[in-house]
Amino acid sequence: MTTVAARASGAWRLWALLPLVALVGIVGLFAATGSSLTDLLGRTPPSADQFDVRRVEFRPGEIRVRVTNPQPDELTIATVTVDDAIVPFAVDGGRTLERLRSATIRIPYDWVADEPIAIGITSSSGIQTTHEVAAAVETPKPSPKGFLGFGLVGLLVGVVPVGLGMLWLPSLRRTRPEWLAAFMALTAGLLSFLALEALSEAFQLQAELPSAFGGAGIVLLGFVVSYLTLTYLSHKLAALATLVAIGIGLHNFGEGLAIGTSFAFGELALGTFLIVGFMVHNVTEGLGIATAATEERRVSYWRLALLVAIAGAPTILGTWLGGYVRSDVLGVLFFAAAAGAAFEVVVEVGRWLRTRAPGGLTSGWVLGGFLGGVAIMYATGVFAG
Amino acid sequence: MPLVAAGPLARVAFAETERSATHEGHDEAHAPMGHAAMIGNEAPSIPRDPAIDALLTPPPALPHRPGRVRDYTLVARDVEIEVAQGVRYPAWTYNGTAPGPVIRATEDDLLRVHFRNEGEHPHTIHFHGIHPANMDGVFEVVPRGGEFTYEFPARPWGMQLYHCHSTPLKKHIHKGLYGAFIIDPPKPRKPAQELVMVLNGFDTDGDGENNFYAVNGPAFYYARYPIRVSRSQTVRIYLANLTEFDLINSFHLHGDFFRYYHTGRDEVVEYTDTVVLCQGERGILEIDFANTGRFMFHAHQSEFAELGWMGFFDVVE
Repeated sequence: MTTVAARASGAWRLWALLPLVALVGIVGLFAATGSSLTDLLGRTPPSADQFDVRRVEFRPGEIRVRVTNPQPDELTIATVTVDDAIVPFAVDGGRTLERLRSATIRIPYDWVADEPIAIGITSSSGIQTTHEVAAAVETPKPSPKGFLGFGLVGLLVGVVPVGLGMLWLPSLRRTRPEWLAAFMALTAGLLSFLALEALSEAFQLQAELPSAFGGAGIVLLGFVVSYLTLTYLSHKLAALATLVAIGIGLHNFGEGLAIGTSFAFGELALGTFLIVGFMVHNVTEGLGIATAATEERRVSYWRLALLVAIAGAPTILGTWLGGYVRSDVLGVLFFAAAAGAAFEVVVEVGRWLRTRAPGGLTSGWVLGGFLGGVAIMYATGVFAG
Repeated sequence: MPLVAAGPLARVAFAETERSATHEGHDEAHAPMGHAAMIGNEAPSIPRDPAIDALLTPPPALPHRPGRVRDYTLVARDVEIEVAQGVRYPAWTYNGTAPGPVIRATEDDLLRVHFRNEGEHPHTIHFHGIHPANMDGVFEVVPRGGEFTYEFPARPWGMQLYHCHSTPLKKHIHKGLYGAFIIDPPKPRKPAQELVMVLNGFDTDGDGENNFYAVNGPAFYYARYPIRVSRSQTVRIYLANLTEFDLINSFHLHGDFFRYYHTGRDEVVEYTDTVVLCQGERGILEIDFANTGRFMFHAHQSEFAELGWMGFFDVVE
């Protein structure tokens, strides 16, 4: 019996390899005769021949356009237009791009600041890709001043409001358990709001990615990785406040990325009103962390500073990164991760409420608090939007 | 049938571009210059094509001799042509170019156009002019592989044109099936340097709007290769508009004026530097250049000019 079992187990190992070996064989066979199968089915449609415009930079007397070939077939830059006029141009690297290869097109052009501009790139097959820029704004070059500026924006939008919100901690400590439960539910509500916002942003960015980067699955990937990481962490570090701070921090990183990118590429006027809007919006995040921190009997100032840093500082990193680098793939992954983290923390807060809230999950305090959290985020979000 | 050239052979040649031939296109950055400097090697790089060059000069006019037979053969062919720098376009053509060849006859010649359709789709040739109903290129659609001979006396004298009249009409015209058709008057026109310019456009991405505009073919061809003419003799341009999609097109000359004969006749003549033509409209321009030098000509729709419909005359003594 044991020998049979041993032999069977050895055979099982071999059998497990069989599908893989067979797959390799069939793929090889198909690759060798692939075209004849295509012939059987009829002619394949022509490729789309659209370029993917990754980045447009405005320099004095020059426009730089970074393009990628998103399709399997190679793609050639034949002619370039600016506002429906053929213009001279130069290409760094070859004019013919292999799959997923990029090139920078340099166009000597006397562009007009603050006015809309449309760049057209025509392939050798005559298909024109048009990229419209809402307002031409000179692209900031990395400079100590600009670095400081982006850092300051991140500080104002991320760190300051979270820190201000944390000042509610002493009051929260003295509040009745019902109110504390309500505030905790409010935290869950605002995190749900942030998660949905991040998820929507991730899907929007993903929709603009070339199909070669995969479909909506990339959002699930980012989401699941961050959700599972936080689930793992929640069992290692029991502190709910840290989890809430991480969830909010990831969201704020994405927010910083979006602000930095939009500002750097002239898609967003970063006025005082908008900064104030983001600040009001983010004060609520500080309240959420403070509520979770009431769990801890004694909280040192260092611990509070650490929580503020975890939740707020990523905004600074995000604005820096967004201001100088534009990667939509990174953007999708970060927003998906932010959504995953926020949803995980909602689950953790839910667990807390189920066991600790007077009246449990279905009490009026909890339901009202959750609704209040969503409503407050919506109302304050109107300013930032 | 004797071929007699009316007047001296047109002294038309392409000016050698003045800049260094080693300068290769645009793979180096230039200072922002605009179209004023888009000339010669600074203009978009289009290969020199003898077939396109041939379209600029019409066959010579023959003296009036009623009943003389003029034979032409037009073959509809699907060919890929370069319509702008590096842009290939699957065109439908008469004899391989868009526009097709210039057809010329003298009034009262018997025009006999042998048409063979080697394209994928049914085509016709519809001539503007006076002819029998069964020679109109509307009812006798020539299928793939088919043939038809159009035969009618050439009249009235003036500037005419021809194009395919299969449906969908827009598609058959913008794909490239059109050309110039000159009918010379019984009394010969005075000798001149004769040019033919057919205004056209190309919708390369099929969105119902032209991506490129041109004269006789590729965008910026006469910016890349300016047309050399001499100041001492009248320049006569046979002009026709066959641009699809856009309601009108135009011709504007820099630095001089011209006499414009509507439909190439004497009834309506004006002295101007800009004419407007709707699709199918045509006429004859006569320029007596006052100065030598480099003069631009282009559509006075700035968009068309900047999308390829711009060129230069090099006027020499």
